[in-house]
Amino acid sequence: MKQKVTITVNGEPTELWAAPHETLLETLRNEMHLVGAKQGCDTGGCGCCTVLIDGQSRYSCMTYTVTLNGRNITSVEGLADNGELDAVQQAFVDTGAVQCGYCTCGMIMAAKHLLSVNPKPSDREIRKGLSGNLCRCTGYHKIVEAVRVASGQHEAS
Amino acid sequence: MATISDTVGTRVRHHDAIDKVTGGRGYPVNVNLAGMLHGRMLRSPYAHARIVRMDIDEAKALAGVRAILTPDDVPQVKYSPIYFMPTEGLACIQDMTLMGRIVRHVGQPVAAIAADTMEIAEQAAQLIDVEYEELPAVLTVEDAMADGAPAIHDYTSGNVAVDETFETGDPDAGFAAADHVFEQTYETQRINVCALEPHVCVADVDVYGNVTIHSSMQHLFGLREKLAFVLGLPVSKVKVVKPPYIGGGFGGKLDITPIEPLSALLSMETNRPVRMALSRSEEFVTSNKCPIRIRLKTGVKSDGTITVREASSLLDAGAYATHGSTVIMVHGLFGYCFTYKCPNRRWHGRSVHTNNVTSGGFRGYGGPQASFAVEQQIDEICEKLELDPVEFRIRNSHSEGDDHPFFDGSFTTYRFHECLRKGAARIGWSDRKAPGSDPRPVKTGIGLGCAVTWTSNCTAQPDLYEHSGAFIKLNPDGSADIASAAIDIGCGQNTIFCQIVAAELGIPVDMVRMSSADTSNVPFDAPMHASRGTNAVGATVKAAAADAKDQLFRVAGTMLDASPDDLDARDGRVFVKGAEVVSVSIAEVAARADSPLVTMTRQGPQPDATPYRGTIIGSAAMNPAVSPIPAGAMFVEVAVNTDTGEVRVLRAVYAHDIGRVINPAGAEGQVEGGLQQGIGYTLMEHTQFDPETGACLSGDFLDYKMPTAVEMPSKIECIFIESDDPNGPFGAKSLSECCLIAPPGAIANAIYNATGARIRELPITPEKILRALGRL
Repeated sequence: MKQKVTITVNGEPTELWAAPHETLLETLRNEMHLVGAKQGCDTGGCGCCTVLIDGQSRYSCMTYTVTLNGRNITSVEGLADNGELDAVQQAFVDTGAVQCGYCTCGMIMAAKHLLSVNPKPSDREIRKGLSGNLCRCTGYHKIVEAVRVASGQHEAS
Repeated sequence: MATISDTVGTRVRHHDAIDKVTGGRGYPVNVNLAGMLHGRMLRSPYAHARIVRMDIDEAKALAGVRAILTPDDVPQVKYSPIYFMPTEGLACIQDMTLMGRIVRHVGQPVAAIAADTMEIAEQAAQLIDVEYEELPAVLTVEDAMADGAPAIHDYTSGNVAVDETFETGDPDAGFAAADHVFEQTYETQRINVCALEPHVCVADVDVYGNVTIHSSMQHLFGLREKLAFVLGLPVSKVKVVKPPYIGGGFGGKLDITPIEPLSALLSMETNRPVRMALSRSEEFVTSNKCPIRIRLKTGVKSDGTITVREASSLLDAGAYATHGSTVIMVHGLFGYCFTYKCPNRRWHGRSVHTNNVTSGGFRGYGGPQASFAVEQQIDEICEKLELDPVEFRIRNSHSEGDDHPFFDGSFTTYRFHECLRKGAARIGWSDRKAPGSDPRPVKTGIGLGCAVTWTSNCTAQPDLYEHSGAFIKLNPDGSADIASAAIDIGCGQNTIFCQIVAAELGIPVDMVRMSSADTSNVPFDAPMHASRGTNAVGATVKAAAADAKDQLFRVAGTMLDASPDDLDARDGRVFVKGAEVVSVSIAEVAARADSPLVTMTRQGPQPDATPYRGTIIGSAAMNPAVSPIPAGAMFVEVAVNTDTGEVRVLRAVYAHDIGRVINPAGAEGQVEGGLQQGIGYTLMEHTQFDPETGACLSGDFLDYKMPTAVEMPSKIECIFIESDDPNGPFGAKSLSECCLIAPPGAIANAIYNATGARIRELPITPEKILRALGRL
């Protein structure tokens, strides 16, 4: 039995019907065609599906849509403003932090949350803040550098 | 404006980075066609069984189920799924069927369903009733080779799929000449590729029976050939669409999986597009690195000269031969015979069937396993003979200009010794402590490991695809489009190809794009594997750009009243050499070539004198002349907590000779990412199976641990010792696989240096360290 849910996605109030077991990841990808959040594991293990729920980074694959009534969702598609990249997105591009890119959108959302609670994180804090997100390509080196650059602590080389 | 010098060797931002940070729409996982159905497989719970009976009636009656395939409904042709060898290739062992009536590992597909939604397909899978007759299963190589072991396939004797030996020189004389003989056994485990985009495909069959397929894979033409073979179709009936990029490959997408043929058959059955995707738990029974046990015996003189090397390697291929039959050969030939000189060699390799999951390809392809043994044993030798491990490696390795030990040609460029010396200086090698001498409970140590195999492509290997083809088209705005079947699997290949074409044509790099392609409109290209992208595909796109440039100069010559031989191009303009003011923009030349028969001028339409009419298109189809030889040495510093057994990698210094570096940021990314996989392989990762049932025990990222940002060192230093190799585009050789081949030996040697504990079995877990230290 589908239930009516009202959520705000990237600033737009949205009314939709979701089955009780439908995840936010499914809603975003299949219903709203927002494909930035990726499916990598479905068990909360990889972080490719990370989005912000009321500003907190969350695995969208582990969140049932019907539980989100009245909540504010930000996906990576909600970051760029009129085509101008957000500082974290820009830093990922500038530092070469993107390889295959499959983890990138989730990683960026985790970084957004981290920087919102800790604007000048140390190397250790950045690594801890991103530790719920896996990457198989980059060794995280340039991703950590991107977050450092986005926080204004280091210039991109 | 760009010039050659500021296009090649520059940290050009990745071609597709802005797309990927804003949503990344180009992945195969996002392909969504109108009317698309969702496919799912039912998998065997038994390691070895015969299907006696299947009842699909209840599943078929479920609303929303559109088609169900059982072994009776699919072709029973035997095939080898590997993309890089032709189906008729001599080394191909054709022992796999799409869905057979015998299952040989837990998780082998036995039925496939297409339904309106994934949820319905999953429900239907649970409603299929399968009666199995369980057969005796063997889950270890020893059991599989034991007398009287059940035969997994009928083509083998003692379940041995591959049994190969080779010998050079006189090994017995080599042992007689040795002052010391070292013999140890090293064991490597099964790990998972873990590309974050799981295997996924969408197949769509039209009314003429043409199959169009989108898939996350590393080889367009390999998928075309294998899919056509499995389905019994001519290749022209299969069109594989090139994805703009995929979510990681690493060798795990170098073979056809069941989903491509099953989704094509389901599409034929339903007249609808069918999508199939593997879940993460299915990935863990699909793409795993080959576990190999190695017995390594080396004779040396007291001065540290190697006189003989003898190795035997036992590989658990799992249920089907596939990559296990080829990894064993790369492992043996490349792993023990390349980096270190040795006049006398003997190798024996066997790849053995078990009822475990099928072993697959993974970055390094047998090299990391060999490196773990070779690089540790060198240190064991050095300690006994009181020799410096850096000097030992220099003494026993090749120098630039040497003849290649096996193939025609020589080491045109090879700066291995410089890699060792520069890396040693950077890490502080001379200050290294004696093994286990650190008095603190958390002991630090330094280790060295080298890339023992050389891959830049597979030229000179029998039966392996290596050729490439590309088109370059110039547009009237002065930009260029590349059309190629080479896929960007995450290493930034598209960016590098754009840099090479930009440098060759003399246009800015942002004026070059990788265009779309499919198997019907671009030339053949070998898989994106064997570290070949930059070197082999790069050489081909450069040749295609040179061809386009020839035509550009012919047209420009008519406009500048000059001979094409006197022209050159730079900064988007064609100019007369020695008289650069006489020039015309490439845009104008391309527009002239594309224009109709008259040119509009202020004086009205004038006859156009250009005799060369039509779009400027360059093409190339070629095989690399040789496989240029990269070199790599890795130094690593670790801290080992002797109370807990925990190892932290504190710092890594990699020194590589990869010829000319086309994109430094991309090259560093290969090194840094290789270290993540290397740390995982050496310390943490292990795809584990129940020893009684063969069922996967580590089927998600909670049970299968790979390094996060926390486990990685914050100091990763890349040293590139550049040279201009004559056999690469702008002097470039190759890199990717080196980065995973060196770490296992380097980290193991560093752990030894810290603690005095020598661990010869991967992964080096805290338990193994504590046991070796007598603390468990």
